[in-house]
Amino acid sequence: MPKANRRVAICGGGIFRPDLWHGENAEEGVAIAYQDLLRQCPNLGADDIDAVMMSYFSDHLNQQLCMGWIIQDYLGLHNKPGYRVESGGSTPLDALINAYYMIQSGFFDVILIPGWEWMCEVDVASTNEMIASAADTDWDFPVGGYYNAYYAAIEVRHMQLYGETCEDLGRIAVKNHNNSTHIPFSQWVSQRGTAPITLDDYWKSRMVCWPYRVLNNAVMSEGACCVLMAAEEKVSRFTDTPMWITGVGLGTDSMRPGDRTADFVYAGFKDEAKIYPDFVKSPKTPYPDMANFASLHVAAKRAYAQAGITNPLKEIDLMELFTPYDGVELCLYEDLGLCGRGEGKYMIREGVVEPGGECPVQLSGGLTSTGHPVGATSLYYTTFLYWQLAGKVKEICGPGGLQVPNAKRALITGHGGTGCQGGVIIFERD
Amino acid sequence: MEEEKGLVETKLKVRPVKKEREKKYRDYPTVVDNSTAAHDFWEPIVHLGLWAIKGHQIVKGPWGGGTVEQAKKRPPREFMVIDRASFAFYSHSYGLVSPFFQGLLEAKLTGTKCPKCGTVYCPPRAHCWNPECKVADCFDNWVNLPLTGIIHTFTVQCLAAAPFEHMLPFSMGWVQVDGADTTLPMLLHIRPKEIFIGKKVNIEFIPRKSRKGDLMDLYAVAAVPGEKPPEWACMQKDTREMESVENSMKATLKFIKDRYGVDNSPQTRGW
Repeated sequence: MPKANRRVAICGGGIFRPDLWHGENAEEGVAIAYQDLLRQCPNLGADDIDAVMMSYFSDHLNQQLCMGWIIQDYLGLHNKPGYRVESGGSTPLDALINAYYMIQSGFFDVILIPGWEWMCEVDVASTNEMIASAADTDWDFPVGGYYNAYYAAIEVRHMQLYGETCEDLGRIAVKNHNNSTHIPFSQWVSQRGTAPITLDDYWKSRMVCWPYRVLNNAVMSEGACCVLMAAEEKVSRFTDTPMWITGVGLGTDSMRPGDRTADFVYAGFKDEAKIYPDFVKSPKTPYPDMANFASLHVAAKRAYAQAGITNPLKEIDLMELFTPYDGVELCLYEDLGLCGRGEGKYMIREGVVEPGGECPVQLSGGLTSTGHPVGATSLYYTTFLYWQLAGKVKEICGPGGLQVPNAKRALITGHGGTGCQGGVIIFERD
Repeated sequence: MEEEKGLVETKLKVRPVKKEREKKYRDYPTVVDNSTAAHDFWEPIVHLGLWAIKGHQIVKGPWGGGTVEQAKKRPPREFMVIDRASFAFYSHSYGLVSPFFQGLLEAKLTGTKCPKCGTVYCPPRAHCWNPECKVADCFDNWVNLPLTGIIHTFTVQCLAAAPFEHMLPFSMGWVQVDGADTTLPMLLHIRPKEIFIGKKVNIEFIPRKSRKGDLMDLYAVAAVPGEKPPEWACMQKDTREMESVENSMKATLKFIKDRYGVDNSPQTRGW
């Protein structure tokens, strides 16, 4: 377990809402998010910021290398140390964890974390191609692959092994889209309004890669978010409601999901029973197989150890999971230890993860509805958790806002590639 | 809009490139060259000056921060949206596992075997990833693999990335080749109603002259033609779901025919 030298907190998040298209370009979008942060933290000035940790995934979606330099100068922060973190979908969560490491080390006290992505300059099929180049381009891409297909195949195996149905995936989609209608910054609200959807809408939505329909998949977004992180000595200057980081964990897994059938590193999960239904005769492989996400499993173990959590379902009030496809959410219930292996389906069937349930998941709506501009994604959902733990959801989102009463502890995950990299952060309020 | 015609170059002019092909590996012999035609075709396109602006639009849209409602209430602003293109032509080495891809050209399937722990890799690894083997060399230890295997998992695609869109709908799966410990992604020339996890497949190759030395050179077919899925197969056991898949396939076939003029129906392509 890491030795924590001092407490580190999120002091606020400013957002420029995600949408399918923005007239503003990325640096203007980040500036709007930064303005929003400055309004929330009136004492914050450039002199307070020791370093800038920039979160953006792609260079090729906008044909601009070193976009981070543009952002730093655009905000007038170009005399500060600045870094870029990039790890696919895990990028913004890794930026948060890296900033945490740096403040924890004592080298910096206050770090600004701007994140953004402008994903809609090329057509969707080309955007999918460019994102798919985060998969192994010698092996997994040339066979017609892209992320929807990889994740669909992973979900098919999970479904065959553990018996969830398409209806379970539909229930998750309905839950998340309807949660999203309470977020006035949501891309779904911008494009489709605030009317709730039903399972019937889910069955009618177009198939993308079986078993995933359109409503199961992350949206393409443009948007930006700026999060402020500070050491405990500086926190009171910016906020009365700090959200402390009490546990962080990172994990990685094989680049190609197909290699997980001979995974020597994760074959080390000796405590994990091999639960396989008899009808799957062959091939049988140990956890995580090409079905679950071991990177998140070890990341969660590390974060729980640091935060002193032994029963996550009981001890965590709400979660924002990085789930670009709804099967990931179902698998993560298991990988994060909310339930046993293969029991993810009961979490949604029994309403445990619904609003008002024992551990609501994705009250923000998440990546499939509220938005997924990659570099900003986990920063948005960190900001959303900040509102939750500060008790400000109704103030910001209106009377319909899904505030968890007296929320004290929350969890967020990041997720890159096909679970190639994952991270977990535990947040707590005083 | 009329008076703006001619302001931007709308017709692409492919300028022939008269120069010797650039090769960073010119100091080493090229023993087989099947690239000349590709370079002759693509290099002029690469050199089109693709960064130059090709056109523009003026779009009136919402702007500024805050909520969706706040943004949409403001009078819209005009944004100038320009079009530019980018293209590069990469000469990429397959590295020490090149023999695998050379084998594909000869319709052979191979894997590497770790001399220390005996793991058989297909996809091959030049070095073993078993930590106990300390990145042992595997690249001189090739094994021939049979053209048979088992479907580890799969999906049915009704949407694909740009280079594969015209091939839709199709199924992609990971196949554990008999004798290998890892699984190889490949196209499944099997109709959705017959695909299931655990299904035995044969691996076949496309005709010699069409092979390029990548995983598109091969595909899987049912080892037992017409084999029906068992009652536990997750896709087919839900009849409503299967019907939905079939309908989606039909819609996708129509979309591809309208967009690309290609008929990918089972009657035409045989799977």
